[in-house]
Amino acid sequence: MTEKTMTDRRYFAGLDLGSTMTKVIIVNDNEKVLARVESHTGAEHRRLANKVMEEALQQAKIPFDAVTYIVATGYGRINVPFADRQITELTCHARGVASFFPKVRTALDIGGQDAKGLKLDAGGKLVNFVMNDRCAAGTGRFLEVIAKMLGIPLEDLGSLSLKSKNKVNISSTCTIFAQQEVNGRLSEGAPIEDIVAGIHDAIARRAVAILKRLKIEPEIVFTGGVAKNIGVVKAVGENLGREVLVPADPLISGALGAGLLGKEIAAKARAEGKSLPKAERRLAEATFFT
Amino acid sequence: MAYYLGIDIGSSTSKGIITRDGKTVAEHLLISGINYRETAEKLRRELLDKAGLSPEDIACTVATGHGAGNAAYADQQVTDTRGCARGINSIFPEARTIIDIQAQSSQIIRVNERGQVTNFVASEKCAAGSGRFLEVIANVLQIDLSEIGALSLKSKSPISFTTSCAVFGESEAISRVAEGIPKEDILAGVHRALADKIDALIGRVGLEEKCAVSGGGGMDTGLIKTLEENLRTKLLVPPRPRMVTARGAAILAQDINERGAAAENKQERISRGSLGGEL
Repeated sequence: MTEKTMTDRRYFAGLDLGSTMTKVIIVNDNEKVLARVESHTGAEHRRLANKVMEEALQQAKIPFDAVTYIVATGYGRINVPFADRQITELTCHARGVASFFPKVRTALDIGGQDAKGLKLDAGGKLVNFVMNDRCAAGTGRFLEVIAKMLGIPLEDLGSLSLKSKNKVNISSTCTIFAQQEVNGRLSEGAPIEDIVAGIHDAIARRAVAILKRLKIEPEIVFTGGVAKNIGVVKAVGENLGREVLVPADPLISGALGAGLLGKEIAAKARAEGKSLPKAERRLAEATFFT
Repeated sequence: MAYYLGIDIGSSTSKGIITRDGKTVAEHLLISGINYRETAEKLRRELLDKAGLSPEDIACTVATGHGAGNAAYADQQVTDTRGCARGINSIFPEARTIIDIQAQSSQIIRVNERGQVTNFVASEKCAAGSGRFLEVIANVLQIDLSEIGALSLKSKSPISFTTSCAVFGESEAISRVAEGIPKEDILAGVHRALADKIDALIGRVGLEEKCAVSGGGGMDTGLIKTLEENLRTKLLVPPRPRMVTARGAAILAQDINERGAAAENKQERISRGSLGGEL
């Protein structure tokens, strides 16, 4: 490798500051993923997005200054002192899922505190979306509340629900009322796996209601932390009446999309002979929320 | 003079009232718990004991509320909307709008001078529109429900919640506590959020004065004050807001019984008349 190609090598970072998880991706000019870090955003870690970034730089074995362009997205994207640009998570998710599945037209993303339905055109561009971030039902929070109440680790819900032969019907939309319903079913002696399957069905019904406000076209892709739950994936498929695709790592589509968009912005500036408008970057704590 | 029994099996508490000629003879309240049927039985038993009566002394029983079907001994069931309207009408005949704030739902009822429902709208799908939201936040703040009103009245700068969801609101309250915001400001913030929800409901059926409140929410002086400020009207608050709907049920029991008696009399007159015709 000559010194020239070394200095010419470009790196792009995508940073997705979600309500629950912070995700960082570093890609090179060939769209190869060199680093992928996922870390809890949790109240006490909120300001430590720079630490997650440092971890990603170590993984990619590059210094901070070698990163050509950094795009921040997600709920907490606004006050990141080391990003060159902020792009909404909708645009980044669309770009990310299209890179996993080029034929995707409909995407469902369920995160820790919101749920989104995305409509993409043949070029993978976002053309329409529907979003719920006002009600905990239908988001990852719903699962968190129920898992905590049942004393089951969040990540065990999926496999547990697959054992169910007769899911209970959870009719309440509201998370708090659903909790009460779960209590009622428990006291009636319903098996825990049937209750969990019922909870997955309830969240899936909400998700499908969101998607139905868009014209659903295949392929349908499901991303976000909740897509890690096999029980919800199954229930979404059942409620839609067709299979949904889930990427190997459903959590990183936003960060990946941010990284790829950064690469495209840099390429466009280069093609137009313009200089890349960069921010004055400091790899320091993010001032999360005002 | 006959005795009438009104039973209101709510999601949180169950209430019973025995009336005689529209006046309360005895009343009783129990936590509904998880076995509504047992609670309904116990409620009647203890209420009759209080009044020194036996089941045969009751001319008619009407059950209402979320779990009305569990009062197997009732002669009839009515909706809590109807029970509440009749109950408020018996206390405040001048009321034309009722704000009924229950543990798990809220409703706005428009009522005429005879205590009949002319229109209503209910919010029952979301905890943020009910007393449940207050319960969730009181739990975060570790204060008793009965302390909420007085404490919230001390607030000088209520917080505003950025969310209208009780679950997200709970997280917000936790963050505010961590920031050292006084409890009273958080509670007053919940009252504002609830009052906004109620406002939105009122917008759908309109408000005609005078306006009364009922349900457990009526016991929260802070909430009443916030509602009064929002609506720019003085609210009629019954002495025991939680008992209103059970009271309405007891009065409806009397209505039904007397109407039944009247119908029987009428039937009798018709039969006599037709008999007379044949003769």
